[in-house]
Amino acid sequence: MRALVKNGVGVFTPQGFLDGNNGGAFLTIEDIEATASLNVDMVLVSLKKVIFFNRNGLDVFVKMFAKVRASKSVSVGFCDYDEKKFDAIKKFYKNDLSFSLFATQEIATLFASNFKDGAKNVLLYSDDKSQRSAMAIELHDGGHNPIIAQTEEEFNTKKAAANAYDIVIENSHLGQMGQNVAARVTGNAIVYTISSFLDVEITNMFNIAYHNNSLNVGFRLFVFDAYKVISMNIHALNFFSKLASSAAEYNATLCFVGMTFDKTPVAFKENMEDSGIMFFEQMDDILGNKDLLAELGASSADSGLHRRLINKVMVKELPQFISAAAATIEMMTNSVASKESVDMQEVNIGDHDGKIASSIGFYGDIDGMVILIFPQDIAKKACQLLIGEETDDMDLVLDTLAELVNIVGGKVKTLLSDQDINVNITLPRTYPDIDSLLEIAQDRKGVQVDLSFDNDKFLFFLTR
Amino acid sequence: MITNEQINSFIEKIPPAPKALQTTIMFLNSGELTKAAQIAETDLALKSYLKNIVNKPIYGFRNEVSEISQIFGILGVSSSQQTVYNYMMTLLSPNKWVLFNLNAPAFHELQAKLSRRWKTILDHLDINDIEIESAISLLPSSIIVSEALFAEKKSDVDILRSVNNLDLNTIMNRLCGLDLFDICEKIAHKWEMPDKISQIVQASSGFKPSEDEDINTLGKWMHLLLFYELSQPMFIDAKLNDFIDFNVDYVGDIYDEFTTLLEIS
Repeated sequence: MRALVKNGVGVFTPQGFLDGNNGGAFLTIEDIEATASLNVDMVLVSLKKVIFFNRNGLDVFVKMFAKVRASKSVSVGFCDYDEKKFDAIKKFYKNDLSFSLFATQEIATLFASNFKDGAKNVLLYSDDKSQRSAMAIELHDGGHNPIIAQTEEEFNTKKAAANAYDIVIENSHLGQMGQNVAARVTGNAIVYTISSFLDVEITNMFNIAYHNNSLNVGFRLFVFDAYKVISMNIHALNFFSKLASSAAEYNATLCFVGMTFDKTPVAFKENMEDSGIMFFEQMDDILGNKDLLAELGASSADSGLHRRLINKVMVKELPQFISAAAATIEMMTNSVASKESVDMQEVNIGDHDGKIASSIGFYGDIDGMVILIFPQDIAKKACQLLIGEETDDMDLVLDTLAELVNIVGGKVKTLLSDQDINVNITLPRTYPDIDSLLEIAQDRKGVQVDLSFDNDKFLFFLTR
Repeated sequence: MITNEQINSFIEKIPPAPKALQTTIMFLNSGELTKAAQIAETDLALKSYLKNIVNKPIYGFRNEVSEISQIFGILGVSSSQQTVYNYMMTLLSPNKWVLFNLNAPAFHELQAKLSRRWKTILDHLDINDIEIESAISLLPSSIIVSEALFAEKKSDVDILRSVNNLDLNTIMNRLCGLDLFDICEKIAHKWEMPDKISQIVQASSGFKPSEDEDINTLGKWMHLLLFYELSQPMFIDAKLNDFIDFNVDYVGDIYDEFTTLLEIS
């Protein structure tokens, strides 16, 4: 079975009846490991479409979870269940609940370390006091605003207040969490939360692929929330120094906030400063200072100093890229996509009004970025297969556009692989308006292709 | 990915039911088992299929049954007609399965399991209706249709489902305005199967409840039965578990009765 991976969470969705006989047919350890290797923070099994399960059936998954946890730093567990199923699982495992339980995937995503959807006001309740605290700490570290109800009565009263909270958490349980360094996006900066003793393990806990992707798509300011760091050793020092050096190649800056040097040699701080890392006492000292943010390159998503030109290999493979985009649109709309013009130029969008965009990066034997720019209505039409119904929900359209460009990326990867060119693709990114796209794409040279389907025009832009 | 032209072409290519089968069913409908058996004997492929399927363990016969007259006699009119319809469905199945990890024996196994358990359900519901019993035969045609239409698009389906949990039924419906069960209905019409059969199978999709309460109830039982079978390791391995969506809410009110009947614990 294959997991659907979104926002750093991989979810398997078995259907029907689950018992000891078929658990291993639904899911194998290889399936879980393959998902974990995609740099996810969580691997979950959704029980939404499971009508029956027993202890033996869950045990098959729980044993696999334990095995994966032993080798990879990911959270594992179940999601998408009602209260009856939650009670049954708690009864089965009583004092042995080492995995996590999230009533919905939305709740699970809050605890994923790569949450990108802004801070949320979260009402939470668990009858287990330690669980309440553990969840609140994790949410706080993820940049959210947890409100803990101390009693069920208080919880029900607060829950009844309409629209007071973005998300309400109940019937959930935090098992052993992944030890990955949590990352969140604040404006145009990425904030990583680090804690405790930093040693050689930081190399495993830090999602370097995510960091590199962020650099590739234009982020230039990386802030380490280090309030809870007790100390670091030489291995961690070396890691951060190397990270700062590689960031410098992109003209990006690393900052540490709240780090004390009571139990860490002060000489380490000097070493890190020599590598270009900056230190601040409070988060507001940096995120609240617009001038400083502008100076550090976080007023826009791209400092513009790391732009490269399209090279011969890219031009040679251009037909593959265009084919991938056209084939995706054809697959999604059952229409014929046609190429109208091709030009090597800076991105030229014409009228900016009512247009949205998405991009996906690729790296490996060649590297670059594909950008698709659509008028909103045409984006909806192109995504109709995925959306399924008429909608004016722009967040939904943007999310779906991310899925569409992800499919284009997948096709690019396959088509290039047929030419013996191996690339990996980054996570997709979306832009609700052209201004936000131009923050990363303005003045970049690339190949612009005007494409159309059913007489509806959209732009394809390939750049580096 | 899938167009209405492709669907129409698929439906056009469905051959009419062979004469021998039509006559067999006609005699079964009128309760003339002996005449039906005599005609069935003339179709060697049908004879072989019937022998093979009724000797599967799920039919529970102690000794091998080999004569068609014997098979029809043991099964009775309703189950005999259901089994002949099952054979008709196999005429549509591909020589080589690509989208699903299936082969002829595995597909026949699914047909046999669905048929026997459907009979158990109808006995429990105290329903003795030749058309209702035969309805289960049409259900696996949704699998055959999926294979026929999506096999050449397997990589597209894989890539699409890697970013969005769409089942094949939804993909088809959104692209063409027709779903797998609509095509099953067209097959039923082409083979002149009674309307009640396609109505029950449409309801069993789980997403198109029938306005007729009795048909709808049967649709719920069939939907749940399908996912009970598709949860068996053999059919999970065949990649059948998620080819269509399981609507848990649709079957909520019959679930307890179902688990008690099939002794699921």
